[in-house]
Amino acid sequence: MEELVRQKARELLSTRQLECVIGWERASDGLTSRPFFAYTPEEADRLIYDQTCVNSLAKFLVDKRNKNTAIVAKPCDTRAINLLLLEKQIKRERVYIIGVTCAGMREVSFGYMGEKLQAKCLLCPQHNPVVYDFLVGEPVAEEAVRSYEDLAEIDARTHQEREAFWQEHFNRCIRCYACRQACPGCYCQQCFVDQLDPQWVGIRIAPQENHQWNTVRAFHLMGRCIECGECQRVCPVKIPMMLLNRHLLREVESKFSFQPGLSPETPPPLATFKPDEDLGI
Amino acid sequence: MSQKSPLSQEPRIVGFLCNWCSYAGADMAGTSRICYPASIRIIRVPCSGRVDPILVAKAFAMGADGVLISGCHPGDCHYVQGNYFTRRRFAVLRSLLDFLGIEKERLRLEWVSATEGQRFAQVVADFRDQLLQLRGAG
Repeated sequence: MEELVRQKARELLSTRQLECVIGWERASDGLTSRPFFAYTPEEADRLIYDQTCVNSLAKFLVDKRNKNTAIVAKPCDTRAINLLLLEKQIKRERVYIIGVTCAGMREVSFGYMGEKLQAKCLLCPQHNPVVYDFLVGEPVAEEAVRSYEDLAEIDARTHQEREAFWQEHFNRCIRCYACRQACPGCYCQQCFVDQLDPQWVGIRIAPQENHQWNTVRAFHLMGRCIECGECQRVCPVKIPMMLLNRHLLREVESKFSFQPGLSPETPPPLATFKPDEDLGI
Repeated sequence: MSQKSPLSQEPRIVGFLCNWCSYAGADMAGTSRICYPASIRIIRVPCSGRVDPILVAKAFAMGADGVLISGCHPGDCHYVQGNYFTRRRFAVLRSLLDFLGIEKERLRLEWVSATEGQRFAQVVADFRDQLLQLRGAG
């Protein structure tokens, strides 16, 4: 697969008017990967694709929105691309998508490659890219039904226990906003937490404000999270925010039969309505 | 992050009322001399669709026991479809807060028209009772 990706990238860079090919290269530790922008056919040889390519690259397309680019995209990245297309952040004709099939990314920590798949990959329903111009790898069978088994533990708790659980996690938050920076869905030029007038959320790092930030961050991704898991991966204090995101995904799936990122056309659930719907309010 | 008010106190309700129906409905309750609990602090908004989830999250974080969002009946929105969007947003927001440990019952959405002063008083009274009950249980 890796060789095919390189070959295609080389071909694109030498035959088309492209700014760059966005992919991954081997990081300096010789084990993990990091995002890489190949600007010349020679640089394309540095591209890799294996079970360490965990970073979501789709967000870079927003920075490159006025340039022609190609991107190597895993299934979750292609869902992010659909999201960005739907929300008119990027233009389809400007992006050449080299879709790669994915068997899940492996747990990697400093200097050590785990046998286990990342938690998010174990729950991931998508193994084939949903949008691409060129496919690398053989399409694999998809699981038909999505599982939300990870949420059962929280569902079983009482409200007091849930509150205590989240309070404990949110209290650790240092509001570095790494979750926002890494999220392909968080592309606002000015985020509500950066605004000083009106000041939606105080800049103090304290339980109240942390709670507001984490609640509203999750809500803003309602029906938009494509489960790349980047927010949780980059979180320095390991707040399990994918639980919140996935709870909201479960909600939009059950209430509006909607799954984000599968199509660049279906209107997002909060931007539309049915006059007679019963939402169980 | 949703400390409730002490047991000895009235529950604190933050009410976001739309300018065109519910605020006028509350006004109607007032001019008709209908009593309703003083637990509610009313904030007038242009439309129930204006109620950003940030405002709700903030109200709870700052110690509200309950938040009431109230607007025109479906089909009667001054801006034609604002309350339909509110309805969807509300359904998901409530479930998110529930997942975070803020009981579903603490966030309420009610349709109150400009003539329904009586109904407005009833809604507030019911909500207060429900919050007291919840406090007793919790």
